[in-house]
Formats: sequence, structure tokens, C-alpha cells
Amino acid sequence: MKLATDTLARFVDLPPDANDVRHLLDDIGIEVKRIAIEDGVGQMTLELLANRGDHHAYVGIAREISGRTGSAIQRPEITDLTVGETPWPLALETDLCPRYSITCLERDAANDASLAPDALRILEAAEIHSIGPVVDATNLANLELGQPTHAFDADSIDGAITIRLSRAGETCWPLFQVDRIEIPEGTLVIADDSKILAIAGVIGCEDSKTTDSTTKVLLESAAFDPIAVRKASQVLGIHTDSSARFERGSDFALPVVGAGRVAKLLEPCGWRVTGATGMVGDWVDPERHITLRPALLNDFLETTMTTDEIAKRLERYGFTIRPGADLTTIDVIVPTHRLWDVELEADLIEELAKSLGYNDTPISLPPVDMGSLPTHDEHVRDLVEEVLIGHGFYEVITDGFYGRASRDRIGVTEGHPLWSHVETVNALDRAYSLLKNNAYAQAIEGVSTNLRVQNRDVKAFEWTRTFHPNPKAENKVCDERKLLWAIASGPERPESWTGPGRPADAMFLKGIVEEIGLALELDLRIGAADPSYPLSSCLHPNRQAVVTLKDRVVGVIGEAHPEVLKQNKIKRARPCYLELEFEALLSAGARPEFVEPPTVHPVERNLAFTLPRGVEAGDLTRTLLDKGPDWLLAASIVDLFEHEQDGQPVRTVTYVLRYSNEDANRTNDEVNAITDELVATIDAEFGPRGVKRRA
Amino acid sequence: MNSPSERPDVAAILESFRAALAAAGTPKELEEVRRQHTGKKSALKSALGSLKSIPAEDRPAFAKSINEAKNTIEQELEAAKARIEGDAQASQLDAEWQDLSMPGVAFPRGARHPLNLVERNITGVLRRLGFEVVDGPEIDNAYFNFDALNIPEHHPARDMQDTFWVHGGLLLRSHTTTVQARVLQERSQADLPIRVASIGRVYRNEAVDATHLAMFHQYEGIWIDRGLTFAHLKGTLSFIAQSLWGAERRIRFKPKFYPYTEPSVGVDVACTGCDGDGCDACHGAGWVTILGAGMVHPNVFREFGFDPDEVSGIAFGLGTTRMAAQWAGVSKVRSLYEQDLRVHRALHRGAMEGSR
Repeated sequence: MKLATDTLARFVDLPPDANDVRHLLDDIGIEVKRIAIEDGVGQMTLELLANRGDHHAYVGIAREISGRTGSAIQRPEITDLTVGETPWPLALETDLCPRYSITCLERDAANDASLAPDALRILEAAEIHSIGPVVDATNLANLELGQPTHAFDADSIDGAITIRLSRAGETCWPLFQVDRIEIPEGTLVIADDSKILAIAGVIGCEDSKTTDSTTKVLLESAAFDPIAVRKASQVLGIHTDSSARFERGSDFALPVVGAGRVAKLLEPCGWRVTGATGMVGDWVDPERHITLRPALLNDFLETTMTTDEIAKRLERYGFTIRPGADLTTIDVIVPTHRLWDVELEADLIEELAKSLGYNDTPISLPPVDMGSLPTHDEHVRDLVEEVLIGHGFYEVITDGFYGRASRDRIGVTEGHPLWSHVETVNALDRAYSLLKNNAYAQAIEGVSTNLRVQNRDVKAFEWTRTFHPNPKAENKVCDERKLLWAIASGPERPESWTGPGRPADAMFLKGIVEEIGLALELDLRIGAADPSYPLSSCLHPNRQAVVTLKDRVVGVIGEAHPEVLKQNKIKRARPCYLELEFEALLSAGARPEFVEPPTVHPVERNLAFTLPRGVEAGDLTRTLLDKGPDWLLAASIVDLFEHEQDGQPVRTVTYVLRYSNEDANRTNDEVNAITDELVATIDAEFGPRGVKRRA
Repeated sequence: MNSPSERPDVAAILESFRAALAAAGTPKELEEVRRQHTGKKSALKSALGSLKSIPAEDRPAFAKSINEAKNTIEQELEAAKARIEGDAQASQLDAEWQDLSMPGVAFPRGARHPLNLVERNITGVLRRLGFEVVDGPEIDNAYFNFDALNIPEHHPARDMQDTFWVHGGLLLRSHTTTVQARVLQERSQADLPIRVASIGRVYRNEAVDATHLAMFHQYEGIWIDRGLTFAHLKGTLSFIAQSLWGAERRIRFKPKFYPYTEPSVGVDVACTGCDGDGCDACHGAGWVTILGAGMVHPNVFREFGFDPDEVSGIAFGLGTTRMAAQWAGVSKVRSLYEQDLRVHRALHRGAMEGSR
């Protein structure tokens, strides 16, 4: 809502400085989003509370100020209207209209005076365009009082005015629309015998609107069911000041007052009321009573207000106060303009807190016994984050959903284990149509994003959640799984003058998994690729592995499949991806067994073997350790040389065998003999597969 | 018996030594001088060996001259050693000049997301008040997202939270208050106090632009106990705000509307740019809203079987996405939800290496 401070000052006393008015409004919960001050007058844009329809008018705001400051409210002049024989036939066919009034006004054809300039200025301040005196008067009355009204050109009305629900296939031509539209069946409308005159509480129609030549109007002033207006406004996509007011619940006692204000505003323009005001609808004020306990109030606010003070403050807001059933209570009657939001004693306490000023009531900290410690979840996250951050990863955040294109780009087609998604049904954007069932698609897109901005050094991770359709889930729709993912692309170390370094490949991510395992004291292991892992087909078939914990697959590492890169338009980069189940990371861990470092340096022997493609170095490691003596402490890989042999790509892997020499009496001959035995064992086991010792 | 003319010439020995010493420029050459002039085959040793052939009356004086020469040689060798090693070290240091204006090469750390940092800060503050962090589903039902929180169907408040509905009649939670609702349901018979915080992603089905997101983050807390008052609400909010924004930062309270609290409160902190006077950064308001809060609505208590005459509650929520944007100093919050790592690097490491 937009208003001007000089207009507001007509209704209630204000501080002279517009900035002080702003602070006053903020203080009572009417937030000033913007203010422009010119010649001492503040033009304000307000953000109103969603439950306070009565704030959509100058009087409503003035009443709120009065409640806080105690200043009296000045109400606008109205023409006293008499409810009696209706000037036009009225029929009410629905209970969604508690009150509907019609007042007839006429003017001499020769009189075409506009509203007074100061009245037009108020409309201008509210950014409401002047259309003509009648429409301007209805707009101004709504702005002042919060009672929307609508004027029909009486000469365009065909028969009785009926308030009813629309029928199937009915159409109308709403004001400011380019064409007729179909009205959904069951919409609350105002109609005559041949057409719809207005969508109740939302907007009038072109074929009954007033024009410069109109000399007789039927002024509608009514109360409509908020939900009915809200539904109509939403389904038609038509939002007006009127619908905004009715949706939040209008004052059912106000229709005749609103019509009287319009009549008063039109008097100087030559319009006069003819006859009585017609009224249908059986609404009567329910006189809601709320019992207020001053003692409870004072305990709650930590104040010492007397009953008299409480009564005076509530009366400023329009409440009626009577003695309670006993001396410890007050009987509070809710005014009609607050029937929508004041139902409980707690609501009255809020009114009194506002009257005192939220910044002026006492403040204290409740007693606190002791603090709390981080949860295991938080501890695990901390440890994992430290590993990743220490290796150059940045935490990112991705959306919980993506579009079908994202799914397609990772090669998920019908029948794929990741094909099925939980789908949103009303997303405004196609990019939000599927709730993600994997984090891989967005991780790859992240690489793409960075390459587009020429950032080739990508190391990102996220704690996220995926959604997996499952009719047997507790909510009968899906399971939610939390996971950690990370992606690395480009050099292992950022580009530097020291040289390019090695790429951040799957081996790098394997190292990350190992470090995470150590940090969490979990025996995370890298195992052979599992084609049944949902992401398996999206990864390079020969550069992927699963992560296991106690023989259960809990994650995966692998390089992106070249086809996925192609679909994502990624060139000259080989991103590698890692994901781990969060639940698995929460498992109980065990510290590695402590092994005392040797006091005498171990005896070392180097062995190099040439391995053809397909033979894993780890298999040789295991054989060396399995077949070696107890005093073989370790068989560590210390070098890798990739080259060709007989035209085939091979790898020469160098191991260091470390033999215990605790008694310092291990002889060279003894160590050499054992080493020779191990070489023979490797030769026997792996020789047939093409493994050879390299001298 | 040696005649005086046949006796070793100590002066000549010294002279020979000094000539050799002067020619030595490296520790190795110096060692060679030491070996030649003090070793077993040196003239000095030879002179000592000739003492027996010196007449007894001359022997003390001759021995003394040899010893003096020996001491002189050793002293001069030590001095030369110090000089030569010093020179050598100086030469080595000179050769080892390194251009430390080159960029450092330690493995650069990454960083947590600003949102994570903000959440950790808040959690740290709330732990001092005894809060525990709990989690809940992101796909929830209308009961926990709306109905149980005093937001009936067609209530205008639902406008504030345009909702993503998913197949199966469920929805993506539009606030983390769902977690609090679940806690209230689960702990309606539990001992008091209940102090829980819920953190996480929430969803709003609205047009996305640089400053509006369809998914963002919230941080909420709820404290249920007997005897909690409006003053306690203000005290708690004040403690949180000043712990996060500084004890000297001015704060103010203002009425708000949230369906699940009554009274409802908004908390503003004075703008860092103008301390409340109004500036461009705060659009002239002087204040920036940081959290929404209130006393738990009696209807919410009744919904979960609590007696609102017996217990009361403090509830609050912080817009952590906005806080993270403020921390990062970015005006377009969307950039924090994209994966452009240049942004994250710049936030944590400043301008790129080599920048002005």
C-alpha cells in the first residue's frame, strides 16, 4: 500500500517529521519499505501484515497509531444512508455474501465536475489513476475506510441484480481485459438477468461500467466471503485493491458506511442519493466476547498494568470493555473490524504489547541450566569438511531439484535405475520439475559452469539430500537420503609456477576417501566396480570403484563417462566424482591399532615388476604380504613408470619391501633369500598373466 | 749433536706455513695446509723430533720456539678456518638467493560455504542456551507444513509461502517449522524444557531471479517450558542477535504476523553502514530485519496436546541465506547457490593472485 503522511495526518495526530512517522509505523508493525520525502511530506510504500485486512486503509492505520499513541481518530464525513426499500430488485442466492447493499445515485447530465483536487491528490499518492468522479470516489472511499464499493451504470442493468455462483460455460468481460473470459463454474458473481456484472469482490465488467455520460449509478457496497474472493482472484489471475481487501476479511458492518462515504464524496460533483439503500444478507454482529485475565497478562509481559489502563488501551483499538464474571477478569468485546484476527486471550495480550510498544516492555533472559554439546552428526561433518577443505575443496550448495534435461544429460533413460523421480506438480520453472535422485548431474553441471568461466581448477563438495520414489516409504512417496558428494576436475594442485602437476583424478579421490576414513576411524575401502550401483553406467567403465564399509557398498568414486561429458559440452576436462552415504559416515569407528615404530631401522629391498594392462598392482601387494614372512613389515609402492613394451602399454611398479630388523641380526643373505622367494612367487602367480620382474 | 746451523729453522717453518695458508681459499685447502704443517710429516713435527740432538743448554729455548710456532700455527689455522668457512657460508647464502616475491606453493585450502559458516555461528550461540539440533524430512505433508501450524487452507498466510506440491499429495516444506511441529508431536509427553533447533533447505515456488530463490535455507529454534514470558522471548532474541552481530549493535523489536506465534515479533539490527540513520545500503531504513519470532500460538500447543495455560514457548527463525549474503557482502544471493568456484575462492582468499 502507498500513502502520504499529510493525508494520514487528517485521520490521526502524527509527529511532524516524516522520518519519525516512519519509525512510528515500524514500531507498530506497519513496515515502511520505501519513503520519499518532498516538502516535508513522506510518500510511503508499506508492507502490511498478512492477517490485517483493516490496515489496507487510512482509518485502519490511524486506528493502529491511536492504539500506540492515544491520539484520537478523525473519521471522514459520510452521508447518512437509510436502509429500506431497495431502489433496485436484489436477489441473494448464496451464503457466500453476508451483506449486499445497493444505493442509487443520480446527477444532472450537465454536471460533470471532478472530485476536489486534494481528493485526487490522495489517489495520486496511492498511484491510483483518476478515471472519473464516480470511480474515483469509490477508490478514495476504499482507500480511506477499507470498504470496496463498485458503481454500475443503472441503464446497463437488465432486470434484478443477483448475487450467485456462476454456471458452467458463463463468460464475462472484466474491466481492463482485452476480451471476454470464461468464468469457472461456482465463482461468486454479481449478475443481472442476462449477463455477469462483476466477479464479486474482484472486479467489475466492461458492459456495466460507468462512463462520462452515466447519470444514474447503482452503488454496490457489500461483504463477501474471503475464501470465495481469494479463489476467484487466484483462478482468474486478477488481483485488485478490492480483492486484496476482501481476501483478508472485510468489516461486515461497513458496507453502508462505505456507500455513505462515496455519496458524500460525490455530493460536490452533483450526485445525489435517490431513495433508500437496499440490503440483502442476514449477517449480524456475533459480539465475540473474550475473557482477559489481567494477572496472567502482567505475568506474561512482566508489567504492572491496572485494569483501567488495560481497558483504556484496548478501547483505543476499538474493543469494548465490560467487567468480567469476577473481579479477576475483564470481558472484552471484539469490534467488527477485528473479528478476523482476534479470537483468543493471547490476541488481546498482543494488542496490549503493541500498545505499550514492543521495545518498551521488560526484557529478561530465561534461566539456563547448561549448554549442549555438538551432536555426532555435527562432529562427523566437521571432520569430513576438514579433510576436504584441507585438500582444496570448496563447499557448494545446489538445488534440491532439476529439470528433465539434467537427467538426460547424464545418460539416464527409461529403464535406468535412476529414471524414476519424485516430480513436482506445480513448478513455475521446468528446471524444478524433478526432485533429484542423484547429485551427480548437478556436480557435472558445476564443472561445466566453471569451465564456461574459464576456471579449470574445480574441487567442490556438498552435503545434500536425494529423493527416491518408494511407495512403501513412511510417507508412501519416497525415501530421503543424505549424502556427501565431491567432484574434482583439472590439476590436483591449483595452477602454479611450479608446473602443471598431476591431474585430480580418481586416484586423488581415492586418497580423499582414505583420509576421510582415517578422520572418522572407519575402515572405508575401495572395491571393484559394481555394475549394479545406480551411477555405474554414468561413470567411466574402467575408472570407477565402489567404496565399502564392512563389506557394504556405501559410495562410489569414478571418472565421468565421456558420453556424459559430451552431453554436458565438457571438453578438455576429465572430472572425477565421489559420493558417500551420510548414514554410513555416522557408523561407529575404531582407532587403528597402535604399532610401535621400530627402534632399529628396517632392512629395505626394492623390487620392480612390469605389469601388463589389466593386472592390478594391489594384487601383487597382497601376494607379497601374504606370502612374505611375518617379519616383512610392508610392501609399499614407491614408483610407477608407464611405457611401452613390445608395442603394448605396460606399467613398471616399484615396491619397497621393508623387513623388520629389531634384533639387528638380520643378515643380508637371509633378506636376499626371502626376497628371491617372493620374486619367484610373483613369477609363479603372475608370470602367466605377463608380469615380469624388471631389473 | 746438531750444530746451530743444522738446527730446524723455526722462522722458515712459520714463513712456509703462512705462505701456504695465504694460498688456501677453501675448507679443503685449509685442511691440506693443516695436514702439511701440523701433521706427522710436517716440518714442525720433524723439528720437535730433533730436540734430542739439540745441546742440553739450548734445548729449552729451542723447544720453546717450536711450541710458540706450533701455537701460532694453530691459532692462525683456527682464524683462517673461521674466515674461510664464513666466506664459504656467505658465498653459499649468496648463491642460494630465492625470490620470495614468487607466490607461495603450499597446498591451498578450500573453504566451507558461507551458509555453513553462518549456521555454525548460530549453533554455537544456541548451544550456550542448551539447544540441540534436530533434523526432519524435506518432503512433508500439509499437516506439518500448514494445518498443525495454525495455517488453515485458503488462509492468506499461505500466499507468503507459495508451495511446491509433489505427486502423492505431499509438498516440499516451505519452512523448517515443520521440524518443530514434528518435535512437538513426538515430545508432547517429554520432560521440559524442550530446546531444539532445525536447520535446512526450504522451498518456495516463485519466480527466481538474482535475489529470489526457489530453494534457500532457514534456521529455526523453539524453546518450550513452563513460565516463559514475552520478556524471555525478547531476552533470548536479544542474546542471539547480539551474540551474532555484536554486543554494541542496537536492535529493535516490531510486531509481525506469523500464524504459529502470538504475539509475533520481528527483530531488526541497526544497519552496519549507518547505525540506524538510513543509507543506501539499507534503502534508507536504518535497520535490517534479521529474524522473525514469537510466543508459540496456543492453537499450536493444543494441536499437539500441550496445555497453553501450563506451558509457553519461544519460537524464532533466522533467514540464514540472507545472513550468508550479508556475511559475504554479495547483493545477489543467487551467486552463493551457483557453483562458480571463482566466487567462493574470492570470498575466502580475496582477489586472485597477481591482482592489484
